[in-house]
Amino acid sequence: MSASSAITDTLTADHRRCDRLLAAVEVSGRAVDWSQVARETDAFRAAMERHFVFEEEVLFPPLENVSPLSAGPTEMMRQQHTQIRQLLADLGEAASAGDAAEYAGLGETLHFMIQQHNAQEEGMLYPLADRALGEEGARLAARLGI
Amino acid sequence: MIATAGLSLEQAPPLNLPLRLFLTAPLFAIAAGVLLMLDADAVLATRWSPTALAATHLITVGFLGPVMIGALLQMLPVLGGVPLPVVRPVAISVHLLLGLGAGLLAAGFLGGGATALASGAMAAGLGFALFAIVMLVALGRACGGSANLHGFPLAGLALLITSGLGLLLTLALLGRVAVPRLLDWVQVHVAWGLFGWVGLLILTVSVQVVPLFHVTPAYPRWLTRALAPNLFLVLCALTTLPFLAPAVATLAGRVAQDALALGFALFALITLSLQVRRVRAQIDATLLHWWIAMGALLAAVLGWLLGTTTERIGVWLLIGVGVGLPSGMLLKIVPFLCWLHLQSHQIVLGKLRVRIPHMQRLLPNDPARVQVALHGAGLLLLSTGFVYPPAAHAGGALLALAALWLLGLLTLTTLRYRRALRALIDGAPATNPDTGSRQDAARADTVPWRGRGETPEDKCANDALSIASSTLPRQRESR
Repeated sequence: MSASSAITDTLTADHRRCDRLLAAVEVSGRAVDWSQVARETDAFRAAMERHFVFEEEVLFPPLENVSPLSAGPTEMMRQQHTQIRQLLADLGEAASAGDAAEYAGLGETLHFMIQQHNAQEEGMLYPLADRALGEEGARLAARLGI
Repeated sequence: MIATAGLSLEQAPPLNLPLRLFLTAPLFAIAAGVLLMLDADAVLATRWSPTALAATHLITVGFLGPVMIGALLQMLPVLGGVPLPVVRPVAISVHLLLGLGAGLLAAGFLGGGATALASGAMAAGLGFALFAIVMLVALGRACGGSANLHGFPLAGLALLITSGLGLLLTLALLGRVAVPRLLDWVQVHVAWGLFGWVGLLILTVSVQVVPLFHVTPAYPRWLTRALAPNLFLVLCALTTLPFLAPAVATLAGRVAQDALALGFALFALITLSLQVRRVRAQIDATLLHWWIAMGALLAAVLGWLLGTTTERIGVWLLIGVGVGLPSGMLLKIVPFLCWLHLQSHQIVLGKLRVRIPHMQRLLPNDPARVQVALHGAGLLLLSTGFVYPPAAHAGGALLALAALWLLGLLTLTTLRYRRALRALIDGAPATNPDTGSRQDAARADTVPWRGRGETPEDKCANDALSIASSTLPRQRESR
């Protein structure tokens, strides 16, 4: 991994990891063992939360310092995180309630919302962060610990 | 001017712009299906029959064009960070011109006279040319925020060329200009329309959305970079054919069309192989439409190589790919956009306690699968018509029904969206009162838009991202 693309590479890999977890819980949602579904949903939500917290607390503040221009886009990404968190909470509720139809519908909606968000981050924000942060970016990316 | 966040907000298209294009498009597919049902024999006998020409233009100008343009209104800013200038007047004009164009062209071919044909061609040509120019200007201004945009200008150019040739052919048909080797120019018009505008756009859009919709590996780099430009060059070569000696032109045409066929076959095979390796297991209506469309594309290529009739190839490409693929996309894009706008309103209004309907409540899965089944059965019966003609009439009827079903689903989705939006604004629980309470209404406030400074480095990427991210509609937009 080159230093110039450390953020893009690391966070994109984490997106793919979360994609796979969502795809897996979407399949589990068709099963009958709802306690298992709820556990997997919690694990997926934790992975997403970890990614969001990393971006909001570790990546965005230094990026906004180095490149004041990026403050608008990072706020927009925070806002999308809020939208996704809301869906994640709904998904958790549907799992606890064992509501298969609600779970499937929320899973699909979450999938499309996350994919659109990821495409914007991977296509635009991460490359911008890599250019703005340089070596510092590689150090920050390492803190995600994947 | 795109440096201010407020203006970027304006550049995200209001929901009603793509929706108006999406919601009227199925009407023209219904009309094409009805024509097939009534006069299938003529369509299958020769593509030069008035009914075949009318059905072809109902599909390409009335259905395919508006759906693809509606999708681009959304995709270019959101995924590419490319805002379309003066988007509202452009979208409304294109919508009217294409609708008018498709209707008048069909009427003209079906005996409505030269005036209908000429005005239809004029309206369609103007509508397409207007959009192509606006899209090319927007892409020219964009500074490469996202990597995979280079297929779009090629598709836009192909659209401009198709429209120009269409207008030229109409003038020739009406005796206003003399065009030697008219039929050769018709082939060039068809090639640019079908393989240039439609083909290159499907290719470019697929590279973006197939990995995104189904969580597949990315398309190989050589395909995303080289296939569209090479196919474009083949189309340029094909355009010179009417100037060559007939014998040379026939041979060169065959080679060029072989190259196009192989290029798109490669695309279909790679798409299918990526979808087989998808992470997301669901086999939903959209994926089924993809499989039917890629199957039809491969059948058309195989048919071409084996020397089958152009009528068969036309049916598989125009209906299998041209009607099926956009239908499949609409079944996801429309409920997603409606949900996205609902949730954005919800956050703006700070009403997180009101439950909004998710995608599958806006457009349920089972009726969407019925839509695919009707379309697939219609296509199959129509193809059967080539060996057993009576089947084609039933095929046309089923295709009309599939398009009517699509229209019904999209209309219901929009009505559910409106009801939920009203409930949201009035503060009452949305569609599902019994699940309306929420325990996690923590973040009610919208994030304020910050002003941004002016350092040259990365300004492009920033602008692109600002435009792409500004999915928050203002309340006035969709009420």
